[in-house]
Amino acid sequence: MGVIEATGRWVRFRIEEAGRAGRFLEEAARALAAGRTWFPNATLQMRRLGVDSLPIGLLIAIFTGIVLALLASYSFTGAVPLYFVGTLVEKTITLELAPVLTGLALAGRVGANIAAELGTRRVTEQVDALETLAYDPDAYLVVPRVIAGTIMFPLIVGLAMIVGLGAGWLASLGFLHLSSEEFLKGARLFFGAFDIEYGLVKSASFGLAVTLIGCYKGLRARGGAEGVGNAATGAVVYSAVMILVLDAFWAMTWLHGRS
Amino acid sequence: MKRGNDFTVGLVVIGSIVAIVLFTLWLSQTSIGSKQRDVVARFTDVGNAKVGNSVVIRGVQAGRIQSIELEPTGWVLVKMSLDPDIKLPSNPVVVLSESSMFGEWQATIMERAAAPDDADVQQQLAQSAAVGRGSAIPGARLPDIAQLTAVAGRIAGDMSRVADRFQVAFDDRAANELRQSIRNFADLSAELERTVRSQSASLTQLGNDVHKTMGTINATALAVQHTADRVDSSTSKGQIRQIMANVGEASEDIKATSHDLRGASHTLIATQQQLSSVLTHADSVLGKIDRGQGSLGMMVNDPTLYQNGDALLSQMRELVAEIRAHPRQYLSVKIF
Repeated sequence: MGVIEATGRWVRFRIEEAGRAGRFLEEAARALAAGRTWFPNATLQMRRLGVDSLPIGLLIAIFTGIVLALLASYSFTGAVPLYFVGTLVEKTITLELAPVLTGLALAGRVGANIAAELGTRRVTEQVDALETLAYDPDAYLVVPRVIAGTIMFPLIVGLAMIVGLGAGWLASLGFLHLSSEEFLKGARLFFGAFDIEYGLVKSASFGLAVTLIGCYKGLRARGGAEGVGNAATGAVVYSAVMILVLDAFWAMTWLHGRS
Repeated sequence: MKRGNDFTVGLVVIGSIVAIVLFTLWLSQTSIGSKQRDVVARFTDVGNAKVGNSVVIRGVQAGRIQSIELEPTGWVLVKMSLDPDIKLPSNPVVVLSESSMFGEWQATIMERAAAPDDADVQQQLAQSAAVGRGSAIPGARLPDIAQLTAVAGRIAGDMSRVADRFQVAFDDRAANELRQSIRNFADLSAELERTVRSQSASLTQLGNDVHKTMGTINATALAVQHTADRVDSSTSKGQIRQIMANVGEASEDIKATSHDLRGASHTLIATQQQLSSVLTHADSVLGKIDRGQGSLGMMVNDPTLYQNGDALLSQMRELVAEIRAHPRQYLSVKIF
């Protein structure tokens, strides 16, 4: 009897959670109309979530590029020409690793930051104070962060692609004794503008998901400091999972079947 | 503080967008502002060729594939962007092929005469050229590695089956027979070697004779050549015509002589018949004589007559001698 009740409670809780998330999304979308409220805060959030995240994003890209070049040279033994190192670095960086690794890193930094900040505002009743002052909390707190994340994530990822490919190039020159012509030949061999487009669109969806999850978890924080910590943890975990889910989604819907 | 944020964010956004766009253009080797020459080729099939693949002329990269479009008629139009300074062959064709074993494709522009001598390729080029002469360059696609390996796989399978069958057929008995056949062949070779050695002298002599004969034939040919030259020179001076006239006259003389001979022959035949008749008569007379018929026969066959005659001649000879010795006794000549 207890198991059945527990199951029923778990199902009801999930449905309620889904309903709350849906209502949150609806309110956030409706808050987009309040441009005067969220627009002044947008650049601040873009600075905090985007510009300030550039170093970590680019640092990850540098090491990713170096490791990819060495990994490719290790894998290409014998029959495969070494200039395919450039191909592998370009394809892997632009299509997968720059968006996903940067997204995961920003999920930790941005998602946790947003959840902790909004959670603190919630538990200290600052959100309630905003409502008392006739401010829409979604327009004032959520929309600027979501807008900033959706815009700045692709830019950070785009720069990470450039830096990652450059790092792989330099690693090929330094460690693999590959010439620049050979590396670029490989990088350009199967390159298409779609590679960049795919990575940027995917990273924009990651930015949207990370900021939405961070805002939702932060605004749902309860119970003081512990609740804020749980909100930050939940935001990072759910953001990371959502990044991987979206990665698979884009691969299945956009990449799959494309020749 | 707020203006500082705006400036920083604006700088990062604009800088990032510009950097990403330039990065994409640089990596895709897209040239902006420089004039390019567009060339269109028509194919029945473009294999695994993609936009951005290299276009090569005489092994040198001259441009890239700009677009690949499927026409409603079923043909595939490939638009290539070439450097404006590139000069195309006088009768160009485009051949798509793999440039490596790893799926890279390239379009090679070449002279029609230099296209691969493959029946399928030539057929594709002919069909493409027949569709729209001048509107697009004829194109063909070489088989890719997968097709070649599929063919090689089939060949390998066939060889494997042949090897299996050979293995089944080649048992110990077959091996012994083969060994015996090899021995027989060795013996035959030794015999053949001995024969060749023994016949080599004859063959050498025969060769010499043939050589001499050939020399003779050559000399004869030279003589004939000289004769022909003389005939040629004679012809040019009218001597042959004179000779032919002389031959004609001689022929007339021979014809007259032949006529005379024919008459003499008739006369001779008559004479022969008369002679035959005479001989018949003579034979008849001689037969009678031999049989002793007639006076002559009796004279010939009766020795008495001969003896009497002979005795008469002796007496006559004695009488003549007596008369010479004593003429007055028997002759008395008186004049008056």
